[in-house]
Parts: sequence; C-alpha cells; structure tokens
Amino acid sequence: MPEEKKDELIHLTIDGMPVEVPPGTLVWAAAQQAGIEIPIYCYHPKMPPLGACRMCFVEIEKVPKPPQTSCTTPVAEGMVVHTKTEKVLKARQGTLEFLLLNHPLDCPICDKAGECDLQDFTLRHGPGKTRFDLHKRHYQKPIPVSNDVLLDRERCILCQRCTRFSSEISMDNGLVMISRGFRMEVGTAPGHAFDSVFSGNTTEICPVGALTASTYRFKARPWELKHTPGVCNNCSVGCNARIDTRVDRVTRLMSRNNDAIDDGWLCNRGRWEFGYVNNPQRLRTPLIRRNGQLSAASWDEAISYIATRLKEIKAQHGAQAIAGIGSTRTTNEEAYLFQKLLRQVLGSNNVDHQHGYFPGPRDQLTGKPWMMTNSIVDIEQASHIVLIASDPYQRQPILNLRIKKALRKGARISIINAAETELDRLATLKLTVPEGASAGVAAKIMLKQVLKNPEVDLTGHEEIRTLLQREDQVIRAGEDLFGARMTTQLQALADELVGAQGAILLYDEMATLEPGNEDLAADLQAIAVLTGQIDRPGAGVGPLFEDANSLGARDMGLLPDSLPGYQALAEPGLDYNEILSNSQVKALLVMGANPARHVADGKLSSGLELLVVQDLLLSETAQQADVVLPAVSFAEKDGSMTNVDHHVQAIHRALRPLPGARADWEILTALARYLGAEWDYTHPGDILLEIAGQNPFYAGLTWEELGAQGVRSLEEQEAAHV
Amino acid sequence: MPELIITKNLDVPGIDSLAVYQQYGGYTALAKALREYQPDALVEMMKVSGLRGRGGAGFPTGLKWSFLAKNNMPRYLCCNSDESEPGTCKDRVLMERMPHRLLEGVIITSYACHVQTAFIYVRGELTRAAEQVEKAVDEAYAAGLLGSNILGSDFSLDVIVHRGAGAYICGEESALMESLEGRRGYPRLKPPFPAVVGLYGGPTVINNCETLATVPAIVAGGAEWYASFGTEKSKGTRIFCLSGQVKNPGNYELPLGVPMRTLIYDEAYGGGILGDRELKAVIPGGSSTFILGADKIDTPLDYESIAAAGSMLGSGGVIVISDETCIVGAIARMSEFYRDESCGKCTPCREGTFWMTEILERLEHGHGEMRDIDLLLDICDNVSGKSFCPLGDAATSCITSGIRLFREEFEYHVTHGHCLTGPGSKQQAHETVQAVGSR
Repeated sequence: MPEEKKDELIHLTIDGMPVEVPPGTLVWAAAQQAGIEIPIYCYHPKMPPLGACRMCFVEIEKVPKPPQTSCTTPVAEGMVVHTKTEKVLKARQGTLEFLLLNHPLDCPICDKAGECDLQDFTLRHGPGKTRFDLHKRHYQKPIPVSNDVLLDRERCILCQRCTRFSSEISMDNGLVMISRGFRMEVGTAPGHAFDSVFSGNTTEICPVGALTASTYRFKARPWELKHTPGVCNNCSVGCNARIDTRVDRVTRLMSRNNDAIDDGWLCNRGRWEFGYVNNPQRLRTPLIRRNGQLSAASWDEAISYIATRLKEIKAQHGAQAIAGIGSTRTTNEEAYLFQKLLRQVLGSNNVDHQHGYFPGPRDQLTGKPWMMTNSIVDIEQASHIVLIASDPYQRQPILNLRIKKALRKGARISIINAAETELDRLATLKLTVPEGASAGVAAKIMLKQVLKNPEVDLTGHEEIRTLLQREDQVIRAGEDLFGARMTTQLQALADELVGAQGAILLYDEMATLEPGNEDLAADLQAIAVLTGQIDRPGAGVGPLFEDANSLGARDMGLLPDSLPGYQALAEPGLDYNEILSNSQVKALLVMGANPARHVADGKLSSGLELLVVQDLLLSETAQQADVVLPAVSFAEKDGSMTNVDHHVQAIHRALRPLPGARADWEILTALARYLGAEWDYTHPGDILLEIAGQNPFYAGLTWEELGAQGVRSLEEQEAAHV
Repeated sequence: MPELIITKNLDVPGIDSLAVYQQYGGYTALAKALREYQPDALVEMMKVSGLRGRGGAGFPTGLKWSFLAKNNMPRYLCCNSDESEPGTCKDRVLMERMPHRLLEGVIITSYACHVQTAFIYVRGELTRAAEQVEKAVDEAYAAGLLGSNILGSDFSLDVIVHRGAGAYICGEESALMESLEGRRGYPRLKPPFPAVVGLYGGPTVINNCETLATVPAIVAGGAEWYASFGTEKSKGTRIFCLSGQVKNPGNYELPLGVPMRTLIYDEAYGGGILGDRELKAVIPGGSSTFILGADKIDTPLDYESIAAAGSMLGSGGVIVISDETCIVGAIARMSEFYRDESCGKCTPCREGTFWMTEILERLEHGHGEMRDIDLLLDICDNVSGKSFCPLGDAATSCITSGIRLFREEFEYHVTHGHCLTGPGSKQQAHETVQAVGSR
C-alpha cells in the first residue's frame, strides 16, 4: 500500500471482529490480517486477483447474490463480512469436492504432502467424503516441462498460479493453459520452451504437488525439514531465502519474501545451485604441502606453520612481501578481519579482491562510494531504466523481475549492450554495441549530448566539459562505429534523461574491466548528476555487483587504497593484478577466492614462498597452495552480508559445520592469535560491533538489529555509537 | 403479417450489395443521424425507443451507451457476432444476407458513442457471414461510408472484422475482448465493466449484432414509432429462431409480446409440432434458459412474461420439444455442450459440467441410480452462482428445470434402465421392429 494513505484506514467487521485496513485491500487480505483463514488457490499476493478457483467465498451483508469471492472484493467502509455461514461453507465444500473429483489420492508418494494446500484445506474446510463414484481422469505421470521442473497433470487443480507467474511476473509465457474446460491442462506453447531462469518459482507457488523440482523430488518429507532464515549467496541481489535442511544437508531453498529486495521470488540459480554445500569433495581437514604433496594436518599444526612462515618471510623480506586476496562471498565480518589481519597484524596494505574497475574508492563528483545510489524498490518507480553493459537476467536475475514490474507500470527500458539479453524483446530501445566500439564510448556520446542540452545546469561541474573535450577523438571514432542512426538514438536517449520523471542507469561491475569502459562508471555517474537523476525517488545510477558480498567486501576495506568505510589511504598497497604479478610478493593469503583463474596459464607466481588458501573445495588455487584450510559455506555460519543496494542482512547457521572445517572468521581469529594479536571474538556479532564502531556506513548496527529482513544503511553517519 | 423492421427486405435479391441496399433506403438513416443529430441525442433516442439488448441479457441499449466512462482513453465499439447459443441462428442470417444493415448500425452507434474504431467479432464457424461482412466493410470504405469524414461529416470511423477461433465463451463480452486482444478467451473480472475499462483498457460499448442492426430502423422511423411495437416494457420486434420438433423451423421477426402459441402453431410461422405430436416443453431463449412445460404455451414472448413463467427470453432461440423426445437424453446432450465449451477458468463450471455430464450420460444409458437425481440438483447448486461468469449458471438451467418438470422420466431411467419415450424407449424399439417386419 502507498505509505501516504496509511492514515485513512477502512473499517470493516469480519466474523464480528473489527478490522482496520488501508483502502484497496482485498477482503481476503483483511481477514488474514485479522487471523481468519480464508482458503485460497488461485490468488497470489504478488499477482492481480483472478477469482478462478472459487474457494475464498465469504458472505457480505447487503451485497446481492451471496456468496462473494473475497480475493476479488476490495474492502469498503462499514462492510460486514461473514466467513463461516452455511452458504459459505457449502460453497467451499462444493469447490473442494469439485477439485478432488479428478485429484489422485497419492498423497503418500507426493512430495507436497505435508505442505499441500489441497490436503490442508480439505482437512480444515472440506467434505470428509466424495460423492464422485466414476473414473478419475488419468494422465501420464510426471512429464518434464523443463530441465528442472516436472508436471503431474493429475494432481494439477488448474489454479493457474504458474501460468500467471509466466505471463504476469516473468512475462515469458513459459507455462500456458492448453485446451479448455475439463480437458484443460498446464503445458508449454508449441515451439516455446519453459527455460526461464525463474521457472523454479512455479514449483514453490504451486499449491499442490503438480509442479515439482527435479532437485527435490523424493528427497525429503516437508515435516522432516528444518527451516532456517538465510540469504541467497549466489549474486549481489541478496534474495531472502529459507534454507531447508535435512540431516545436515541442504535440500532446497525457498523464497522468504522481502518486498524491499526479492519481492518474494528466487531465481533458479539461487534456488537450486547449492550443490557445493553438499559436495562430497568438500575439504574436511587442513592440508600442508610436504615433499611436494598436500597432506593432512591438524588445525594446530597448520595454523602454527602458517604463523611461523609468515614471521620468517616478514623478517626476511619485510611486511610488503605479504599480500592478501579476499572474497566477495564471505561475510562482512570475515572480510573485515581479513584486511585487519593483513593491515594491523602483518602490517601490509597489499589487500584486494577481484572486482570491477572504479577510479578510487569514491566518485569524485559526488563523494559517494561506488555503489548503486537508488534502492531496488526505486527501480519500479522509475520512468526510464537504462541498462548499459549489464544483463541482470543472467547476472542479477531477480532485478530483471523488478525491471519488468517497472515496465508494467509504464517505464521505458533502454538497453545498450553488445550481446543479446532477455529484456531486449520488451525494451523500448535496444542498441547493439558494434564490434570495436564499447559501452564506455556510448556513455561518452550520451554525456557529450547531456553537456550540449540547454536545460542542463553545469554550475559547479564545468570540469566535466573540460575532461570530456579531451576525449573528443575517442567520441568521434565511437560515433563512426555506432553509425549515424545509433548515435542519434544515443543522443535522443541522453536528452530524454534530462526531462525524465525518474531515470535509473545501471551497468555491470565487471563490464568496467573491458577495454574502452575505463570511464564507464565515472561517465554514467556524471550523466546522472547532470540530468538530476540522483538522490530522489525513482532515480539513480550505479554498478550491479557480481557476488553476494561484493559491496560488503568494498565496505570492509578489502581494497588496496582504502580502509573500512572508504577512508582513502595515502600510500595504497598493491592491487589485485599487482599482487598476482609482482615478484616482491612472497607470501599470499587467499580467502574464498580463486585467483589462479585470472593469471595467464593458471599458475601463480613461482616466486611465492607461502601460499595459504581458505576454501570449501580444492580449487585451482588451492591445488597450488602450501597450506589449505577447509572453510564452511554460507549455510554453516552466522554473519552479515551487504547486497547491491546496501541492505545489510544476517545469514544464519542452517547446518552443523562440516566436521573438520571452520568458518573463515574463526580461522582468521586463530591465525591472528598465533601471530600474537589479542583477538577474542566469539561470535560474528562481536566483530559487527567493532565494524559498527569504525565504519560510518554501519554505525549503530547490531547483530540483533539485522533481524529477519536486514537494514538498508546507506547514509554515512557521523558519530558511531556502540 | 405484422410490420417487419430488422428483417425488412431481407429477401430482396442482391440486398447484400451496397448498391441494392442503398436502393432500398440503406444508409439514409446514417446520413440522417450525421446530419440531424448530436451524438447525445442518439443515445437519448435509443433510451426512448426502449430497445433492449438482443444478445441474451436484455439490457436497455440506450442506458448502456450512456454508461461509457468519460476519460481520455480511446473508446471502442465491439459488435458481438459470436452467435453460439444453441438454438440461435439470427445474427448469422443478418450478416449473410444484409451485412450493410449491421454495418450501418455499427456506424451510427459509433457516432453516438464517440467511437473511432469498431470491431465486428464474428463467430469462427460462420465463414460465409464473416466474408459477407468483410465485403460490406470493403464496399463501405470505397463509398466513403467508412474511413475519414464519413459522408462529408467530421466523423471518422474504422471498422475491423475479426473472426473468432470457435469458442462459446467468446460470446461473453469480456471473454470476447480478451480474445480480440489476442489472449485466451477467458471472462474478465467485473467490475470494472466494459463501459469503464473495456477493450485495450478503453471505455467500450459492446452490443449484439441484432441490436446494432435494429439501430438504423429506429433512427429512420423514430423512437416513438419503434416503441409503438411490442409491449409496455418490451418494446419493438425481435427475431425468434424457431427450432426443434416443429414443422417450419426458421427465423421469424415478431413484435415482442406475441404468444408463444402463435409462433409455434400459426401457419405463417412454426405451423405446429412435427408429426402433429403433443408439445412437451419449450426452451424459450436458447439452451441456457430454463425449460418451460407445455402448459406455458400461451405465455407472451416478451421479457417480463417469460420471466414470470420461470425462464428468460435470452437470445430468442425457441427450441420446441415434442413428446417424442426423451428429456434425459436431450438434457444430457445439452450438458455435453456446456462441458465441452466451459472455458475452464473456474473450478465449479469446469469440474461441475464434467461431473454432471457423466451422471446424465449414465442415467440416459440406464446405469444411473436414484440418488443421482438429487445429486445432480446439488451439483447444480454448487455451480450456479458460484462460478466466475454466467456460463456456469447457464449450464445448470436445463438440468434443474428439466428435473423439476420431468422428474418421473429421470426416475423411469433408473427403475427401467431405458427411456420412457423417444428412440431409446421399449415402445419405440417395439414400433421399429414392427416397421422392419412389415417391410
């Protein structure tokens, strides 16, 4: 509901209970708020009402022709609703009897049994027996509708949630209704594959056991599962997820609605790609290289060996010979401790991680750190969305759904990309970056046009013109490559942004590493600032980060040129590429990263005297290590992560840690103590307190305060209070 | 013979062409409307004429036009020519034989309702009708009767003929619009009603083919003249589609209020029951309306009288059932239609029509049980008023009224295992054997 209407509430009575709800609320939702269950199949809170299943009947006084469907009826002042009258109960029983006519009684072998709405509502609202004594419809038992989803048409109650998800939410019509009447069934349209990256959501919103995920089929019964609130670890969106585990194995991830982040959806990557947690190849013991072979060692042995070697190397080559490469998937606390170990315990600023290219820790124009200035929710309020060198569908999938939500509200989508993207078919404008050109030069062409626009006020930003003038040759060459038509379109788009009600410009963090995109981040930031598309609702600019804690890693100072909270260092340490190529580096600590993938032949410098790797599996880097320390996954530890729009969210231990493995923060603490530091953290919450005391973006945060849905802490706070 | 209004000149050779239609006064009503009337005056004229929708619901046409929301969305007119109600065949004949009368009605209505784009949605199976309407539209464009500045006025209109793909549900106005927009034919949630949010989100007036074809005559003859036909509340004439076991089935235009007996028995119309059998029952307004017993034969054919007799005038499809017909078999056949045509959107209609048909087929074939009869009534109660659109209600009309009127026939099927009357009865079997034997 819009916030400004909160004070004008509608008053109604449901089953004699007074209820107050905002205008426009459906009777069904009002009853739910009052704790009254009205059974429902077709309705889903994230989709417009359908009114098809005829389950949610209520009787409303003074409304003709009872009963009414509560999912299609908005509340009205003074409305008197009854949910349990004789008429209502008969109608509901009638519908349930209809639904059960052809529904097989295969609950004992159905994955949904135990969390099935048909089973539950039949028990609570249904007739105890059926009067149907004829033959049930039979279909071939499950047929695959995609690589990951199976459909059992006998169990389907045709509520159409899945097909409406396909048409209304993911907007790809992956699943459609086929035939009509009693022959109707769910299926795929001829020539169309149900290959959406969002297909898994249909298995979750299916109220019965009709759509099941191949990864979960016959793996567990719902009542055996332990549910832990968590956050998906697979990209920077940070979708809230419920981690379902059985006997210390992750069986599935289910969505845990957070309107501010995921809007109740998960992508298939988030939902199903947790195999690495359960992987039998997980490391279960520390390894030390002896006679060229990695062999098992005890934790004490391994940590004391590392400490000794580090001290020796520091004594021999100085602290600058030590470097660290951190991770974008470990927690804030771990990233913080990692740089603290390097900087404070070992005395080296050679700390970095793999990330996009940004000029300095902060944008010079605004003084803001490099991050998306708008919230995820802002996207749906935008009138213009420009995706430049970014493809959320592949990289930050759930943002694709938020963009589609904006599209349904009338937003114009412009895509500038060398590759095809899923959103192209829905975009107002798609400009394919030609061979040899770059998104970076497209941004420059747009910036040049913005500077030309008479409505743009350049006061205070004259230097941008000067800077861009130096690029004139690059821009002219770019214009030739783009051609007259696309150049005009880019210029028109730039002009459109000047007067736009709200525009959001998004680029992929990693695209900044491509040739020609060196200034992409800065130029887009400049466009947003000059066109006034920043710091107001529905407007913004920023990078779409790669990993679950990419932004957290930056916040925590896993950067050679800044301390936690983007406090610039006068003398920066070596950056990621330098660490990997500089022969002065003799000891390298790697936490949750795989830099071997980023060096030419996959071989790290032979000059390294000590390579320590903390990881879950024996990665390419770990295979070259002198010491390997087995770490645990996001599902086995507590901590906080910071997502793409700076929501700081808590992850919780859902499984007992793999025997023999330890959380990275525990490993770092142990190592620091061996090196003589007095670290006494007993829980990530202790570390978060320390972070909150130092980092202005985390000021005042506590472990408890993160709660179930996290906190969006965007403002830099002056005074930290602990 | 009473004066014909809608079917006037229907039999004139070549009246489907623009030239002949114009020779017989075609498009003078349009010229008059554009010349002499402001749009609002035409809406008022329809109100005074008392014209009511001929599609089935009988909603006052002028009132419907006046409900159009005033906003800045484009307005549309949909002509519902998806004539699919069993027992109804009037729109088809109008379109095939005199498409220009429909088109003239469409143009006048569009003018009255400030519409600049009109759609004529023709039932998929009516190939000839669609071709005739398309031809008429082409002729009208060529003659300046469609397109920009019609007849030199400042009124412009485009008409698009669209053919359905063969679904009964698309005769339901909102499903028709879904279908027109390229989606699956599903009824929409109401409110909002089409007059507020209709086709492509614009305020939309949707009228039946016959209704629109009546409009030119009202404009030409005046509202009072039209209102002088019919009864106090059911004014004018309409086409009755007489079918079933009657000697002269066909379309007959009559003023509203003529007794059913006249339509069925008068030599000018039905000419009596086929084989001079006894009348058993009549379905007065297409298969979706309640069956009336033979005792209602003197009911006047107007909206109010038929409603008072326990049914509806509906689409004007009068189906005559003689004593030669097994009512269980007839109802089972109708039920199969509703089962096959249910769009499947809502549970009660989708599953209920399936179940009821199964039971009716079982009863008809002598395998039913006595409890099936009350079970049928209870299923009807769980469908009627519980389904998403009126199609679910419609599917139950013949069953509830059939059991009420002819319960003993249903019981006979259970107790005897065959029909009481008609081809499935022992009597009939006996007669057939005799006939074969005497050959």
